[in-house]
Amino acid sequence: MPKHQFASSSKYLLASTALILSATMWSGYALAQAQTQAQSSQGQQGGDGGGGQQAGGGGTGDGGTGFGGDGGTGGGRTGGGGTRGGGQQATDPGVRGGPAGAGGPLPGLSAAELAFFQAAQVRFEDVDAVANGLGPGFNLNSCSGCHAQPMTGGSSPATNPEVAVATLNGATNVVPSFVTANGPIREARFVLNPNGTPDGGVHDLFTITGRSDAQGCSLAQPNFAAAIAANNIIFRIPTPTFGLGLVENVSDSGLQTAFQGTAQQKASLGISGNFNTSGNTGNITRFGWKAQNPSLLVFSGEAYDVEMGVTNDAFPEERNNPPPSCQLNPLPEDTTNFTDATNGQSPASGFSSDIVNFAAFMRMLAPPTPANGTSPVTASATTSSTTTSSTTASSTTAAPVEVASADPTSVLSAASGTSSTSAATTGSTTASLTRGQQVFANIGCQACHVISQTTGNSEIGAAATNVTFQPLSDFALHNMGTGLADRVAQGAGTGNQFRSAPLWGVGQRIFFLHDGRTTDLKVAIEQHSSSGSEANTVINNFNMLSVSDQQSLLNYLRSL
Amino acid sequence: MGLLAWQFGAAISLRGTQTFMSNPEDGKVAKGRYVSDYFGLIYRLPQGWTVGEAGPGPSQSGYYVLSTLVPKSESNANILLAAQDMFFGPDTRDDMEDRARDFQQAVANISGMIIDRDLTELKVADHLLYRVAYSGVGLFRARLATEVRCHVVSVNVTTSDRDLLERLAGSRDSLSFAVIRDVKSSPPPCVKDYAVGDNVLHKVDPVAVGPKFVPIPVRIIVGADGSVKHVHVIRATDDQRRSIEDALYQWKLKPYEVDGRSSQVETGLVFKFTTGNEESR
Repeated sequence: MPKHQFASSSKYLLASTALILSATMWSGYALAQAQTQAQSSQGQQGGDGGGGQQAGGGGTGDGGTGFGGDGGTGGGRTGGGGTRGGGQQATDPGVRGGPAGAGGPLPGLSAAELAFFQAAQVRFEDVDAVANGLGPGFNLNSCSGCHAQPMTGGSSPATNPEVAVATLNGATNVVPSFVTANGPIREARFVLNPNGTPDGGVHDLFTITGRSDAQGCSLAQPNFAAAIAANNIIFRIPTPTFGLGLVENVSDSGLQTAFQGTAQQKASLGISGNFNTSGNTGNITRFGWKAQNPSLLVFSGEAYDVEMGVTNDAFPEERNNPPPSCQLNPLPEDTTNFTDATNGQSPASGFSSDIVNFAAFMRMLAPPTPANGTSPVTASATTSSTTTSSTTASSTTAAPVEVASADPTSVLSAASGTSSTSAATTGSTTASLTRGQQVFANIGCQACHVISQTTGNSEIGAAATNVTFQPLSDFALHNMGTGLADRVAQGAGTGNQFRSAPLWGVGQRIFFLHDGRTTDLKVAIEQHSSSGSEANTVINNFNMLSVSDQQSLLNYLRSL
Repeated sequence: MGLLAWQFGAAISLRGTQTFMSNPEDGKVAKGRYVSDYFGLIYRLPQGWTVGEAGPGPSQSGYYVLSTLVPKSESNANILLAAQDMFFGPDTRDDMEDRARDFQQAVANISGMIIDRDLTELKVADHLLYRVAYSGVGLFRARLATEVRCHVVSVNVTTSDRDLLERLAGSRDSLSFAVIRDVKSSPPPCVKDYAVGDNVLHKVDPVAVGPKFVPIPVRIIVGADGSVKHVHVIRATDDQRRSIEDALYQWKLKPYEVDGRSSQVETGLVFKFTTGNEESR
């Protein structure tokens, strides 16, 4: 049912909060880079259901699979290897300030596509009530509530909206201990069923019980305290959705080619990896923390059902057999519309269901622009280098389109809010970012966080056809060791495996790793190492770097 | 058996063994040595070194982290012992020199990486090792690779101390290998794609279980009588492993011949369970 007529005012509040936070943290970014300069000159030497990660998606559902060599349980090491030298340590510069550089449409959309994108964004930002399909179980009441940082479509914001939604409209939920006001947005999954068989599915944090729009419904929350006591619960945070239309449009063979492109380096580093695949078709699946979802439509449909409780054309049944008193709408709750809900602004959007709109929004959502302002999208070698042109509709996406560059040398000058940085510091920072990019490649980060992918022919047209972009991911699964293992298998993904997280936009991420366990990028790097991890040699390499080179790597990542 | 002596105490050797029915991932470090019966390999740890974090299990492409070695007291170096099954890896060529040159070219293409020394060939007994030395961002590396039982076995040394690299991956004189002369103790020849077509006299399909469309690499050793003597399901779920083992031990193959005499042979095949049917090659 159409719900897009009322926009969410909470979205704007979230966005404003994020910008304030970013501006505050930028000073830390500049400071850390200044430290890098000092260290260099002295020659010192020194160590997704979240919003989209759902159980059983599109034939790649949860199961009890476990491959030889995998096992163990999530531990959660907080420390990493030592760093060289004595007192000096590299530090995470923090969330990068300046323009968000994200949230706008792909450049080069047609007028009809742009109208669809804009209408779809309204749907993505809608706040749902029970009459719109919310519940009986849910984690939040809007897509953009979770996908908020640094702009709509992103990841977990600084202020966790799950706390407020727990008691919204009279709801009687208790906020679980693992959800905090300043912590990451989290979904919860139970590892095992009570009978000991694999579960792995999302257990919604909240119910609609007590809400003024859910009269008569009485449904208890899951017993999270018991699950925590039994070590039977794991968490996932929302994955950013920027640029996912491009990811969707890379062919299976394209992904395989990019994966093989770093095979030699991987073999010298103890890295292997494999793709997750659809149990129905055998195609590579690529969305979600375990790459368990094959398409943005399945991703949307499953998230709408699992995270918000809104049944839809892809997932038409309420989950977990709720009592009739809590099933307050005809099913499915989100379907194709028979009238144009946009009054002619975008009939394609107006007639389409919410999940089609969500998928379309993500499909046409541009990748994040790095701090240097270079375009995240460029025409590939198969097309003219000047065929694309900038048609960004969002004032926050000011990137030129025709030039793609891996050269990060203009980061400082392009990042607003840094005008007080001296020319000398700018020079040093430029050198640091260039060096950081080399470190990223040399120590082996790029073996999995593959820099570039290339799309094929896209229904979106020139905006997404035969373009090269830099997600910094191979979209394959890798064994991340017992320290990160969540013991949940999804499709071909085992309990120890995760998809290489795309690092584009990481400069503006607040929470890291699948469960948001840290806000410190250096800790996130160090957590890649634990028993069984494919990244152990790379982290050994990281630990062997000078403090200056570690800092350069962190600076480079925060420039993305 | 010939032992090699790496400078400063590191040692590597390949030896004949009667325990070739073991698997690549079964190697262990004990008493200061990494020992792999499957590869017939001994690697003596440098003095003051120990085992680092365990690596992942065998991969879908037949890649093994055999061991990770680190100094006990410093974090200035690491050694990765690894193996890539040549039947299942991304590069299926037999020529080790070509593979080594490709590796050298691949690392040379990485921004900021320098090839410190052109590809070096080390002939030790009947084994050829190819050494690539390269460096970047203050890390100095060497990779030694050779072929054993249709696997690329590699020793990958990384250190922040250039001098230490030379000590760890030192001169030709520090290496020696055993020459395997005892046929009874030597592993069987490895032959790609032997268990296909007319070579398969009797075949039982495994029951399809577990995730679909996931390649499952398998190595088998076929006896001189054509029966399957050993099955190594490299990566699969427990259910899939049992299903494949149960089926393969019922297979009967045409005996492999060497110089007109029946011989054991080691080969590989890949299973992929699809919707209702099993595929293999």
